[in-house]
Amino acid sequence: MPDATLFLPLATVALMALTTYATRIVGFLVLRDRTLSPRMRAVMESLPGCVLISVIAPSFVADRPADLIALALTLLVAMRFSLLPTVILSIVATGALRYLVG
Amino acid sequence: MSGMSSSTASSPQSYVKLEVARGMRASLPVMLGFVPFAMVLGAQAAQKGMPAFLVPLMTGLNFAGGSEFTAVRLWTSPPHLALIVAMSCLVNARHILMGAALAPLMRHVPLRRALASLFLMCDESWAMALADVKSRGVDRISLPYYLGVAVNLWLTWIAFTALGAVLGPVLGDIEQYGFDMAFTAVFLVLLKGMWRGWRKSLPWLVSLVAAALTYLYVPGAWYVAAGACTGLLAAILMEPRDA
Repeated sequence: MPDATLFLPLATVALMALTTYATRIVGFLVLRDRTLSPRMRAVMESLPGCVLISVIAPSFVADRPADLIALALTLLVAMRFSLLPTVILSIVATGALRYLVG
Repeated sequence: MSGMSSSTASSPQSYVKLEVARGMRASLPVMLGFVPFAMVLGAQAAQKGMPAFLVPLMTGLNFAGGSEFTAVRLWTSPPHLALIVAMSCLVNARHILMGAALAPLMRHVPLRRALASLFLMCDESWAMALADVKSRGVDRISLPYYLGVAVNLWLTWIAFTALGAVLGPVLGDIEQYGFDMAFTAVFLVLLKGMWRGWRKSLPWLVSLVAAALTYLYVPGAWYVAAGACTGLLAAILMEPRDA
């Protein structure tokens, strides 16, 4: 029997989940039955990159020098290597640089 | 379906299995990247007084890390329902564009199945499915591959946020060890897979600058939406009228 103090936390989580699911299906449903013009298709092709780079934009303006050096290293490694070595090298480099540079 | 003879049923079924397995394998490095974030999120939630059972419930039903970090940052006892839901919505607004990008590649999937699959759409599963389309030079996503990736990530996220909530007080500050850079590293490799030359990637640069400036000067979680929309606008302006 959930008591009253749990009502708001549960309702918050439930509403979050509902609105998040709505954001996942809305764009899909709107574009599902439409044929995009070649121009719009070309525009949609650059969209994934725009979204991903926006999510990680804060690391490009980090205020710790160690984090900026680590980001530059990660960028270099990412250009040459696949996912797993990049992830491991970036974690190690970031940890070491934070310890050494501060 | 049950009437189908084993010889005709086995080949598409084994194809699906192979594709799911391929997705699960591809997701391994990203799962590794998820673990520290999930632990930090769980630990922060516990610290903010969120009941431990609620953490995996939230991360399993909502499954969108950015909005969950935001929710935990804003969490109080009792929580401000409207504020948290509104901010979570803002962080997740990019899903609208992401779902739109998937639509033309998912025409072959029946609607119900498509809507169910979209429940598991996160930045990584979405980007990996798109990268897979590009690398194989096809015009539709492999749903079993996507689901292989997405289910692995979903289970990792639930398990380790729960673990973080339980272990949180013991762990202390694990952010200092550099695990947070895993997130950026994953995204950079995904971006490399989508690279189509400097000219065509100019909207990315616009997005990066717009998002960074918004992050620096506008409080709240507006930067993702601002960056994505500005980049999209740049792409529209750059594209010639009758391409």
